Amino acid sequence: MVIEESVLETCRRRGVSRRRFMQFCGTMAATLALPKSYAQTIAGALSQKRKPVLVWLEFQDCAGNTESMLRTTHPTVEDVVLETLSWEYHETIMAGYGKHAEAALKRVVDEEKGKYLVVVEGAIPTADDGIYCTIGGRTALDIATEVCGGAAATIAVGACAWDGGLVRSNPNPTGAVGLHEAVPGIKIVNLPGCPHNSVNTAAVLVHYLTFGELPALDPEDRPLFAYGQLIHDQCERRAHYDAGRYVQAWGDEGHRKGWCLFKMGCKGPEANYNCPTVRWNNATSWPVKSGHGCIACASSRFWDTKSPFYERLPHPAGFGVDVTAGEIGWTVVAGVAAATAAHAVGHVVRDHFHPGNGDGTPTEKAKAEKQTTEVN
Amino acid sequence: MATIAPPAPSKKHAAAGQEHLVPVYVWELPVRLSHWGIVAAVTVLTWTGLYMNHPFLIFPGPRSWTMGTVRFIHEFAGFELIGALIVRFYWFFAGNHWARWREFLPLTHRQWESLKAMGRYYTFRQQKPFEQIGHNTLAGLTYIVVYTLLAVECITGVVLFAAVEGSPTLRFFVGWIPRLIDIQWIRFMHFFFLFLLMAFFIHHVYSAVLVAVTERNAEMESIFSGYKFVPDELVDMEVEISHLRPRQFFKLRKIHRSRHWDR
Repeated sequence: MVIEESVLETCRRRGVSRRRFMQFCGTMAATLALPKSYAQTIAGALSQKRKPVLVWLEFQDCAGNTESMLRTTHPTVEDVVLETLSWEYHETIMAGYGKHAEAALKRVVDEEKGKYLVVVEGAIPTADDGIYCTIGGRTALDIATEVCGGAAATIAVGACAWDGGLVRSNPNPTGAVGLHEAVPGIKIVNLPGCPHNSVNTAAVLVHYLTFGELPALDPEDRPLFAYGQLIHDQCERRAHYDAGRYVQAWGDEGHRKGWCLFKMGCKGPEANYNCPTVRWNNATSWPVKSGHGCIACASSRFWDTKSPFYERLPHPAGFGVDVTAGEIGWTVVAGVAAATAAHAVGHVVRDHFHPGNGDGTPTEKAKAEKQTTEVN
Repeated sequence: MATIAPPAPSKKHAAAGQEHLVPVYVWELPVRLSHWGIVAAVTVLTWTGLYMNHPFLIFPGPRSWTMGTVRFIHEFAGFELIGALIVRFYWFFAGNHWARWREFLPLTHRQWESLKAMGRYYTFRQQKPFEQIGHNTLAGLTYIVVYTLLAVECITGVVLFAAVEGSPTLRFFVGWIPRLIDIQWIRFMHFFFLFLLMAFFIHHVYSAVLVAVTERNAEMESIFSGYKFVPDELVDMEVEISHLRPRQFFKLRKIHRSRHWDR
């Protein structure tokens, strides 16, 4: 069943006013870094075009991306866009189950070939022929290869679908990988983040509906509008960073005053995301605003590379879990300083007991002393 | 107590004696400039870098701009360091015999001897360091490591700078690096190599003073003035076995003779 209605019509049916709809179009234009006038273009496209068929595949993950999309305080237009696209298949929220569900997926793949969109959530295991995630008796890799291979475009939402996320973090027992590694060569947009921000996902869909193509991507296939800037550069606490005002401990004066979380291990200076501008929970807040450092959840392999989350630098392997780079560094410096001092003392002592020319022959002074001794 | 007759100076002793020392222009201006450029840059970079990693001073005032200023100084000093390294790298190929890249590697028999002798010297098995006008080979190898560390510091620094600066040119040159090595490990290297350079600094000053005291060849002064005072015979020998072409031999000898203070 394909619903032949536009996003605007669905919004009307769901009780969303035209005012809120226009507000949404403006938000989308802003999120996509388009000029204000594009809000009209977007509104036009959403009023007319038939929504594309969309299937949502869920593999190895915690369903957090689905949750992030569904759990809002009241249904927003983003939700309407996402929910009312012609969802033909979503394991977590679809009513059908078993054979009927799989039949719906098969119908989309067969009948809408080259026209439907796929949203993928979760990592894909590759170890032991991918048996660690199977749906209806088929492996995740098998399903993803077939469904994504026939799609107009694929949107990989969340850290797991991008690069394996938590599932792939060390030691990765299931051999999990991200979608673009598991199924190379497909037309893909990565929307990493743990979870994805549904505003960005909606913006990608809106861009596709409005312009008929995917937004501009970076070398890692992430849209530049969302992943083109450092969190640090957009952070509202940035002025405290530049000024030299830092939180030193949780709950201290600086923390209460909203100072920079740099010393608490905030990874904002190395993370690219539009978290500070788009925010969460209907743009209410985001981690740093609420007083917690960024953990760079939209960065590559962040569970492994950005931990420990509450310290500036990673811990080197092989020195025990709590040993920091600074501790090793200062130990090296102290060791060299001690060795140098010991060498200097050794030099003086050696010269005192064994004066010589350096080639085994005694110095003139030593010879003279020896002569004196012999004469005596 | 019998009177001690002063022993007749041996030939070797005479060669090392004060009266036969000649000033040799070892460190040319670009070598000294790049040396002190590196010293100044690394000193500034060390202190600003330690602050940037762990801001140990908190400035609660409303008009402070501490981290901003420190970062600016750090970036400025970083580019100064890159400049100094480029000058020194160029001088590996354009400089005099003692500044060239061949001086830093154990390529000749004599350089191997130098390496072994310095090993013995530092482990107290030999009393005098190897007699050489420029770097000894052990020092040369150490400097290769240090230049590598400095180069890695510069590259990782530029990668981190590119991440915040956002210049397309910089990203074109170094943007591929964080995709190979995670930015946190680049930051880790950038921080950790600082301690290796600090350790080197301690050893460098110590060994320079040690050799200067033992040899009495104006080693410490040479990095300011460029001149070392070395036995005449050593100059002749080094010129003979050096890789310089005959014309350069001549030029070198002319410098020595014209600067000869004793004759």
